Amino acid sequence: MAEDLVLDTAIRDWVLIPLSVVMVLIGILRYFVSKLMLSSQLPDPKIVKEGQIIVRARNLRAAANFIPPKSFRSRRVYFSNEENGLLFVPKGQAQNPQAQMFSDPNMAMDMMKKNLSMIIPQTLTFAWVNFFFSGFVAAKIPFPLTQRFRSMLQNGIDLSTVDVSYVSSRSWYFLNLFGLRGLFSLILGEENATDDTQRMMQMSGFGFDPSKNLGAEKDGLDIVQHEWALPKFEHRAEAVLKKLIK
Amino acid sequence: MVSKTEETQLNRLENQVDNGGGGAWEYLCLARKLKVRRPENVLKYGLSILNDSKKRSALGPEEWTLYEQVAIAAMDCQCLDVAKDCIKVLRKKFPESKRVGRLEGMLLEAKGLWGEAEKAYSSLLEDNALDQVIHKRRVAMAKAQGNISAAIEWLNKYLEIFMADHDAWRELAEIYVSLQMYKQAAFCYEELILSQPTVPLYHLAYADVLYTLGGLENLQTAKKYYASTIDLTGGKNTRALLGICLCTSAIGQVSKGRNKEDKESPELQSLAAKALEKDYKQRADDKLGLLTSVLTSLKI
Repeated sequence: MAEDLVLDTAIRDWVLIPLSVVMVLIGILRYFVSKLMLSSQLPDPKIVKEGQIIVRARNLRAAANFIPPKSFRSRRVYFSNEENGLLFVPKGQAQNPQAQMFSDPNMAMDMMKKNLSMIIPQTLTFAWVNFFFSGFVAAKIPFPLTQRFRSMLQNGIDLSTVDVSYVSSRSWYFLNLFGLRGLFSLILGEENATDDTQRMMQMSGFGFDPSKNLGAEKDGLDIVQHEWALPKFEHRAEAVLKKLIK
Repeated sequence: MVSKTEETQLNRLENQVDNGGGGAWEYLCLARKLKVRRPENVLKYGLSILNDSKKRSALGPEEWTLYEQVAIAAMDCQCLDVAKDCIKVLRKKFPESKRVGRLEGMLLEAKGLWGEAEKAYSSLLEDNALDQVIHKRRVAMAKAQGNISAAIEWLNKYLEIFMADHDAWRELAEIYVSLQMYKQAAFCYEELILSQPTVPLYHLAYADVLYTLGGLENLQTAKKYYASTIDLTGGKNTRALLGICLCTSAIGQVSKGRNKEDKESPELQSLAAKALEKDYKQRADDKLGLLTSVLTSLKI
């Protein structure tokens, strides 16, 4: 089990390199296709307004000490009072954004398009890899692994005595999938459609953002203690002037 | 707002091009980036590049941005034929563009055809209700027609949606000051201070408005904001120094009978007066007499 298998260099020439090249090309193709299919999405007025409210509330929190106490308090009431405060989201409404996102046909279409452009090439490439490049050892991973990884990395190889470090081409495919992101940002510039991992992370947390943000801002605003910094400024101005006059 | 280094760079480029030494394109790019309004120069240099077909093709895709910039400058200088030609070229190239639609609306404004411009803008807004630039153009148009209350109304509606746009708050504050609606102007300046607390300009304007409103509390607050302006500008702002002197004497006058509560007032005022005298001696010696007479009259 500890013997070193000698792998044919032909594997490197005909499996590893072509697979990487193909994945790079498919990535570039997807980038251009996504540019063609880019539909200018009209921004939803409510979401824009909410974004701006959040920015304004954040500014209020950050610079609260620069305005007189009365003004601060009146603004705080404006934002977080129970009846029509901007940041106040009654409990019933909190569920809406996600439902709205599904029912709104445009947004649903957009999300479907984005998902499709990600899923279809991945599925096709995966099937192609499985069909053509299965049943042999493709590479050796430089570090030892436990037996649990056997099913994941060695799926085409039906020998159970082969060291787990010897993997099939499926694992090379996955390695490329996640690793080529850096290469794509070099070639295609920062914003490219091949950022699958980012998209996958986005998929897990969508929809709820607006109402949660508002609630968070409101809580933050309620906590702020207003300590008017201006009286200090008189002292500082004196010090500045004293230095200036000398 | 343009910083001092950027301004000097702009002026330097301007001089350079004026005296015949190249650099017109850099000047135009810098003017576009800083959003300064120098219509005659932009028009002159822009046309010199556009009329020369070799230079024009050297620009590549930037050519269209230059057409837009020259069109706006031409409208500023009332050279409406130049503007119309530029817009025609742009319309041929980008038939469905909203940006070109905005330029056409601006051309109608420049010609003084307010009704049609209003119609053009409304139709553009129907397609995209959240186009900030078109909203602002509507406000500008109302202001240009002299219909200030409509301008205020449009601007308030705009700010209801885009409340983080500090340029709009600034515009609203200036409109209110021009109409002497000082309380509302104070609110706008507070918004500006909230969004950019380290810009001394807003502190100064806020202090001015508070001083104009009058009343003991406002005067004391105004004094504090003049002090913060001095702190933020390192004591170099003449207006703030004079503001301190005026505020202190006004407070003294208002609270003649009551006991004075702020302990640092005499020091701050005398320090400000000394700083002013020093400044005047350095920069405008002949006006020093005026200053001393004002200061002596205040200390009473």
